[in-house]
Amino acid sequence: MSEYAAAGVAIAAVGAALLAGVYFVAVFDRLIGALVEGRPLQWSRLLAEPVQSSALMAVQQRRTTERPDAPAWALAPALFAGLAAVALAMVPLDRDLVATDPATGFVVFSAAIAMVMIAVYLHGWSPNSAFALHGAYRYGAQALSFQIPFLLAMLATVLPAESLSIVEIVNAQESLWNVVRQPAGLPLYLVVGVAVSFWGPLNLPDGSDLAGGTSVEDSGLSRLLWKAARAAMLVSVAAMGAAAFLGGWWGPWLAGPVWVVLKTVALLGVLLASGHLLARVRIEQFVLVSWVVLIPLALLNVFVSGAFLL
Amino acid sequence: MPVFAVAGSGTREQVQDLRLDVHMQLVDTPRAATILLVAGAIPEELAEALARLHDSIPHPRCTVWWPLGAPSGAWLGSFPHHVAIEDQVPGRLTAIQRELLSGQRPSEPPILPDVDAAPWRGVGPFGQGGTGMTGGTPYGRPMAELGPDRDGLRLDVLPLTVGPFFPRFPAGLVLDAKLAGDILVEVAVRDNPFVTNSVRGNDRAGRGPFLRALTEPVSLAELELARARAHLRWVADALAACELAALGLRVLRLATAIMPGDSEPVESLARVLGWTQALGWSTRGVGRIEAAALEGLGAGPVARASGLPDDLRAQDQAYRDLGFEPIVQAEGDAAARWRQRLAEATQSLELAGRAGDRRTIPTGSIESPRGLLEPAGGPAARLLPLIPGLLEGMEWGDAVTTLVSLDLDLEEASAAAGQAHGEAVAS
Repeated sequence: MSEYAAAGVAIAAVGAALLAGVYFVAVFDRLIGALVEGRPLQWSRLLAEPVQSSALMAVQQRRTTERPDAPAWALAPALFAGLAAVALAMVPLDRDLVATDPATGFVVFSAAIAMVMIAVYLHGWSPNSAFALHGAYRYGAQALSFQIPFLLAMLATVLPAESLSIVEIVNAQESLWNVVRQPAGLPLYLVVGVAVSFWGPLNLPDGSDLAGGTSVEDSGLSRLLWKAARAAMLVSVAAMGAAAFLGGWWGPWLAGPVWVVLKTVALLGVLLASGHLLARVRIEQFVLVSWVVLIPLALLNVFVSGAFLL
Repeated sequence: MPVFAVAGSGTREQVQDLRLDVHMQLVDTPRAATILLVAGAIPEELAEALARLHDSIPHPRCTVWWPLGAPSGAWLGSFPHHVAIEDQVPGRLTAIQRELLSGQRPSEPPILPDVDAAPWRGVGPFGQGGTGMTGGTPYGRPMAELGPDRDGLRLDVLPLTVGPFFPRFPAGLVLDAKLAGDILVEVAVRDNPFVTNSVRGNDRAGRGPFLRALTEPVSLAELELARARAHLRWVADALAACELAALGLRVLRLATAIMPGDSEPVESLARVLGWTQALGWSTRGVGRIEAAALEGLGAGPVARASGLPDDLRAQDQAYRDLGFEPIVQAEGDAAARWRQRLAEATQSLELAGRAGDRRTIPTGSIESPRGLLEPAGGPAARLLPLIPGLLEGMEWGDAVTTLVSLDLDLEEASAAAGQAHGEAVAS
């Protein structure tokens, strides 16, 4: 019974963390937007607006299209949010404070990231709409390009830990964080992290040139859930970045979990700021840079990290 | 509150300024909106497309007409529902949305009948299968057909119509495109009601200084300040198209704040835009137009970005006295058009600062921010025929970037014709 209770607590904790993360992303993104715009900050507005617009979407009608794949349309945001939850569950808050720590945590996380392509593709394919499908195929091209550098950038962090467990990967950073040990790792991870959650400059599948891309036909609750799922994935990517490259719970003075949250917030700040400060990348360029620059760079990163351990 | 805005004749700037209000959220798809805001007069030809747009807004929904000087008879007869408002738009829209949500105001019923465009004859549990469901337009639905690809393969080619209210395009522009994957293999531009049929009766919005300068002397300082503002307004829109909406709002605010003689804010803006790569990876090499294709079109900054020193101002004695020299770029791509407009905005502010009380002499044509404007036609109408050849072979994203970089203002020409007509009647 207690096993089930522990699992229940872990699942509830991950869910609550994601929900809090999604709200935080919504507020933080508006905050950065207001700073970039140069508008005076109104904190009460910033804090209330995500709630108001969510409430509006929750009561709006869910429109449908001609001959949609209704089950897939309803399931895509759930799959996306579920994958974000799986990814976040691997991130330890402290040495003994983690939702789950399988010996293959790294593999589970990578698998969750790889499956995002299915969620986005389903979401674009199901409404039976040209722009949505177009966005879905773009994510296909984007995902095939970023997954190898993503995996390789993460793989380099496994080498010093000599383990695929995320807790061990963090543990191995006690004396030296991976961001210093493998200087190319974090920038690579962030570029690819923006691509995974298709935010800002790499928001190609849901881009403004497609009037919203895979979510062009979403209204009401479908729109709310898809937005929330995207924000959740961004939180998971930032949290894993904090664990794999910024030393997770390691840090002076403060308690471990506080450090994890602070580092996650810092990475979220970088990811969200990129959305307001960098122009959209052309898909052709992204594919080219991924294969010609990012993969060799990520391989080099693995080789150099390996050589230091010999 | 989420609003889908349609900018009718001469209301582009007013609709753009709505973005500055924190309560307004101008959305890209009607599915995300609660309010359909129609500004100014809409030609009757677009009534059905507007009705379709209206019907795809989720309940609760409401149509609001903001006439902006258009006479009450300008509202589309076939479009029954609307609330008309004159001013305090954000506040009124907020109140309307509150009424909708509390149930005080009923949600609008659909305008068009909710039926399939043609009977569906698929047989499977998801409506798939059946005979004759591949290729061509079975049962009224255009389907993908095989066609040659740039790699020498034969791939699906999907016919797609975009417009007339696509958020990145000027209202009224309709493209009939064929897409092979991400590539446009065929593009046709439909006749545009704003170009072919002048929508009149828009006094408040239509009387910009460039339209007035067609028929009366206007001070150079006023014209050049308006030119700099128009260029910055374009930058604001183009930034939104690069996914930089917040920065776009900053530029929009700057557009109303700039002063004659003080070009420093625009120069520092150009530096910031350099860091964002808006003039870099997202536009460099995209939508290159050869100078020869623009010869004699009077395409203003678009022509000058391709290296043609084509500017009516160079023939004006008042401008020559100020030492005016047209600025040109060499590359002719979308990035060059960005640089061109930023450089011209700087130049215009300096000219405005030095212009003193010099005035133009009306000659019936004027160099507007978009090019040669005369009652017989504006630059947009002359650029439209170039579009198919320019876009074919491009990826969709680049095609949108290119169209945005042309800054088409479709109803400028008819406004100019209306201006000349109005003056003739007045005298």
